[in-house]
Amino acid sequence: MTIGPQSFMRDVLEAYPGAQRALFGRYHIGGCASCGFQPTETLQQVCERNNNLNVSEVLDHIRTSHEQDAKLLIAPKELARLREQNSAKLVDVRSREEYEAVHIDGSLLLSQPLMQEIMSKWPRSEALVIIDHQGKTGLDAAAYFLGHGFENVRCLRGGIDAWSQEIDPKLPRYRLGS
Amino acid sequence: MSDDLQQKITEAIRDPKNIGEMPNADAIGTVGNAACGEMLRMWIKYKEQGGKKVIDKATFQSFGCETAIAVASLATELIRGKTPEEALAMKPEELSGELGPLPPMKIHCAELVEGALRAALQGNAPSEGQAPSSPQSPTLLDKIAPPKQGGIKIQFLPPEKP
Repeated sequence: MTIGPQSFMRDVLEAYPGAQRALFGRYHIGGCASCGFQPTETLQQVCERNNNLNVSEVLDHIRTSHEQDAKLLIAPKELARLREQNSAKLVDVRSREEYEAVHIDGSLLLSQPLMQEIMSKWPRSEALVIIDHQGKTGLDAAAYFLGHGFENVRCLRGGIDAWSQEIDPKLPRYRLGS
Repeated sequence: MSDDLQQKITEAIRDPKNIGEMPNADAIGTVGNAACGEMLRMWIKYKEQGGKKVIDKATFQSFGCETAIAVASLATELIRGKTPEEALAMKPEELSGELGPLPPMKIHCAELVEGALRAALQGNAPSEGQAPSSPQSPTLLDKIAPPKQGGIKIQFLPPEKP
């Protein structure tokens, strides 16, 4: 799908999962309800009601940020190689229910105690791979750890869902119900 | 926002100074803007110099806003060596330093830094250098840890046929 000024925000976010973080970081758009946007708004509409931002410039920023995000991603096959070398720590940022239902062997569920241990004891140079469900929220966690000085943080592209499809079909795929 | 200001902000955040928590800080200030989900926290360490208590080092964490990061980076450099009173007397436009005047939609970024600085300088010394346990507004951390429990249903998908 080609994203342009007339694209709906839901499509922008689908194509560029980090778009909300990028929009908020530079333009203060999308941080919460008061500065947020509707999925049915177009990018053009969002720009117009935010001081008539230049939509081309905003699109460029979203794309550039997306390229930066892409550098943080690690392909499932690459992670499989790292695991064989035992040279990366895997941190799972999903809910406990999801983790208990299915997880990659050796991965650690992020909890408050683990967070404290990571921050206080883990070497900042160590390879750290963030695992989420489908690769859409892990970048927030990666950004958090990067902000705390971890130099070698990656996020599993496509999350554990991609891992199931590309590396270990024995791990069942799932979706979240309500 | 002008291209010139954006360029200065980009340069400032390319190599931000004084990012991160400070162990054994003498003071911590946290300020959050609930309206936009921003948060900025500042740690300060003092030293004695010429019989006066001055700021030896200041560090910060900020999530979300690159202007706030740029201002905080500059401000933590500018307040080094100042007494708490001198630092408190600095206005937001002074804290933003070489960034120069900020446009209206970005002024609150500098105010965020000023607020965190005030909270640190006027607050009480923390115990064991730990940050307050409850940030005032949602942060990236709130989104990622600890994982929420309850009300989550896992629906396994049928295996795909080869």
